[in-house]
Amino acid sequence: MPRRTTHRAGGAKNAAGSGRASHGAVNDLVIHVKVNGEARRWTTAPGDLLLDVLRREGYWGVKRGCESGECGACAVLVDGEPVNSCLMFAAQADGRSLTTVEGVADRERLDVVQEAFLDHGAVQCGYCTPAMVLVTRALLARSPHPSEAEVRETLGGVFCRCTGYKKPVEAVLAAAKAGGGERSRPAARRAARAGKGARR
Amino acid sequence: MFDQLRAFHRPTSVATALRLSESERRAGGRGTFVAGGTDVVVAGDRSLRWIVDLTKLPLRYVKRRGRGLAIGATSTFADLEASAAVRRLADGIVAEAAGTAGSRQIRAMGTAGGNLANASPAADLAPPFLALDAAVVIAGGGGGGGGRRTVPLDAFFRGPNRTVLNGGLLVEIVIPPATAPRGGRAAWSFQKLGRLESDIAVVSAAAGVAVDAGGRCTWARLALGAVGPTPLRARRAEALLVGKPFDRAAAEAAAARAAEEAKPVTDVRGTAAYRREMSRVLVARALAECLERMGRTR
Repeated sequence: MPRRTTHRAGGAKNAAGSGRASHGAVNDLVIHVKVNGEARRWTTAPGDLLLDVLRREGYWGVKRGCESGECGACAVLVDGEPVNSCLMFAAQADGRSLTTVEGVADRERLDVVQEAFLDHGAVQCGYCTPAMVLVTRALLARSPHPSEAEVRETLGGVFCRCTGYKKPVEAVLAAAKAGGGERSRPAARRAARAGKGARR
Repeated sequence: MFDQLRAFHRPTSVATALRLSESERRAGGRGTFVAGGTDVVVAGDRSLRWIVDLTKLPLRYVKRRGRGLAIGATSTFADLEASAAVRRLADGIVAEAAGTAGSRQIRAMGTAGGNLANASPAADLAPPFLALDAAVVIAGGGGGGGGRRTVPLDAFFRGPNRTVLNGGLLVEIVIPPATAPRGGRAAWSFQKLGRLESDIAVVSAAAGVAVDAGGRCTWARLALGAVGPTPLRARRAEALLVGKPFDRAAAEAAAARAAEEAKPVTDVRGTAAYRREMSRVLVARALAECLERMGRTR
């Protein structure tokens, strides 16, 4: 049975701006988010973290690692900015646009960054790869032609315990060369998508 | 982890945030404000019953205030790094310090206000803000009323994770205009020692120095992080600089004095003795960089 909810977190209908449920033990929050371009309505508990909700909802590309903001395996993009989803309350995602690795490829066509990771063999066990792809896309969106130092600084926020940073660094530099920055810009992507017709 | 949490408030105004937190406190349950979550979630206090989220408040800004700057409390580290006004401010030490506050994801989440309100002795932004004579604007707290008070940052910290907030909300950081005497120069520097720069500081230091046209020091600020119960100013070392020609010898003497003023403890990141010695080294480096930036290395 679906749990009843009284207020959505931060909802305009709630004058107090409060996400608190008004009766009994019913403390659930309904939040509205866009995940990979698709609107989602989630019923969450006030203490739920975004990582837990994303995985519960089937976005398994979001990996559970240290759960203390150190390793970056759980990184997702929130309105284009990379965040560690283990440190963000799900309620704070209400009204925002999330991107997980599931939303990076355009159906069968991989993103420039993903292609570069494949071409360069920049994957070992693969656990950190989704987060590496996402933080790379955020980097290229704000800095389309990053220096190697910038690339290293960015990838340093995602721990690879296979310790294979050399190939990912090469892959990111190659993706930048291949125009990954242009393609990572949300507006450019939207325009490209509109030109190709609607996605599912 | 936060399974006891029964209320997650997302107010859109400071007044509502204060009203909600005050009524929750009166009701008796433990709770907290949260913004980026990089301290609150990591601390993982399972007894929290309520949270008032600050990320919808209109406090994410950097504004000119007269010839100084006003930084909204929920501006992220990444916002400070990207702000042209912050990068231009005081040789860029605030932007530089913000850029060392962890990985890009942490810097996109953690906020300036949270960094100060959490009151870690190692807070990355504290030494540069102390060296800039920053003050914080606090709304509410201390038993109700939505009044605002402005507190100099060096009177804000009370101990590890303790401040004068007393239930109030840190809403803004105010930085007065940098002053150099007529014909003189002012320069600043930020130094941080960690295993990697993005790690929590073992020691951090910020310096600000102004000299008159003759190279005589008219004003000095030396601030240290992670070497005491709070971020601290080395006031005796500052006093040692003022009124004398600012040169290498003066810098070395001030650095030695600053190390005496440090009150370090031993923990996993370093011993007290190491921290004291590194306080000297970092203050010396900071003052050397100030000298270099003034273009009067002697």
